[in-house]
Amino acid sequence: MTDISVRGLGKTYGQVAAVTDLSFTVPAGQVTGFLGPNGAGKTTTLRILLGLVRASTGEALIGGHRYDELPRPRKIVGAVLEDTGFHPGRTGRNHLRILASAGDLPAGRVAEVLDLVDLTAAADRRVRGYSLGMRQRLGLAAALLGDPEVLILDEPANGLDPAGVAALRELLRQLAGEGRTVLVSSHVLSEVAQTVDRVVIISAGRLRFAGPLTELGDGLEKTFLHLTSDPARSPDAHSR
Amino acid sequence: MLILVKAEFLKLRTIRGPWLLLAIAPLVVVAGVSGLVISGNKTLNASVQSDALAHVGLTSIIMLLFGILAVSGEYRNRTIADTYLTDPRRGTTIAAKLVVYPAIATVSAILCSIVGVLTAAAWWAGKGSSLVWSASGMRDTIVGSIVWNIGFAALGVALGALIRNLAAAIATALAWIALVEGVVGQLLGDSLGKWLPFNAGRALGASASDASSDLLSRSAGALVLIVYVLVGAVAALVAARRRDVG
Repeated sequence: MTDISVRGLGKTYGQVAAVTDLSFTVPAGQVTGFLGPNGAGKTTTLRILLGLVRASTGEALIGGHRYDELPRPRKIVGAVLEDTGFHPGRTGRNHLRILASAGDLPAGRVAEVLDLVDLTAAADRRVRGYSLGMRQRLGLAAALLGDPEVLILDEPANGLDPAGVAALRELLRQLAGEGRTVLVSSHVLSEVAQTVDRVVIISAGRLRFAGPLTELGDGLEKTFLHLTSDPARSPDAHSR
Repeated sequence: MLILVKAEFLKLRTIRGPWLLLAIAPLVVVAGVSGLVISGNKTLNASVQSDALAHVGLTSIIMLLFGILAVSGEYRNRTIADTYLTDPRRGTTIAAKLVVYPAIATVSAILCSIVGVLTAAAWWAGKGSSLVWSASGMRDTIVGSIVWNIGFAALGVALGALIRNLAAAIATALAWIALVEGVVGQLLGDSLGKWLPFNAGRALGASASDASSDLLSRSAGALVLIVYVLVGAVAALVAARRRDVG
């Protein structure tokens, strides 16, 4: 079981605090929603977790290790980041072949993950011709390439059509059911409510709530708006 | 490391842009050699052979741009996050690029040298002369030019890691060559200006007639360029490890 643990995490850019004293855990075998308004610090937190941004204070660990300490990290963590890009002149299949090669993963996984995200038919087209939804599915295929124990997805439903969103929901549930750790950030609360078991809500870089979805008595949307409406108020965050 | 080197080659094999850039290099050599022959009523002797083949060295500017693409290109296309997620040892990733891009620059410079020699041979034959294959001046110019190409490809990788914005990195590189070295040379004098990177490269790829007090000797130029490459590589490795990828 590989869980995610964030302890006392802080990140400042000059005088601006993007994340302040953030602590929560994401257990294996469940889908955890990572929620917050724009600028709440979600992407910064995920980037620290993935070793792309250095924390100013605290630590963010995956299975007890920093990302850069993981041997063959694609085997352990798969990630889709909101602003991850692709070379427009490269085919989707070649993008995955490169990641498989650099990550020392079996080349045969490329065809498997293309099939899993229903992108096989377009795999040999250049990415510049892909729709936003196809790019999202290619990003998801890249995340799944190493058959990872942990999935970290930043707004993975962006650009997906309703069928794609439903397929994504089913896939995330399936992956969590296999005992994997799934952390997914999203703005679409109605979608989150249908997908996740737990939520972590942050606002202005601070934790507002972390716990099972069932503990939000007033429903996800109402509670979310209440917890994030006044970022200046003192955080009465609770974590379960 | 070997895995990352293979992945870098695969990255290059699966896109066309860098190869189109490299394809310009032999065209520059053909145009340069032909221009030299057409523009003057020179006697086509061994000394002019060296002048003609000095155009191989100028393709180092293309190799500089090629090297910049290695890292800045990844930032421009936002593939750098996936690259560092696959192997978070950023220094090793940059090191792999510092192996692959100069290696390709080596092959490119050798091909450009062959194209240059064949072009010169054709012109010489057309003018009723014959190329002196054993001319040491031509050989030294070619070898120096190849080293200049290799060094500038490595410097390009380092520059791209330090200036991650592709347009800014290219503008900085071209402005340095076109303006800064000239201005600095005028301010500090040729005795100091010849120690700058482009002038060190010029010393390496200089023809027999270009060698002058304005430039270092070929071997000194090689040493100075190696120092710039080492300093640039260390700075690139440190910057890649320390900076956030946002």
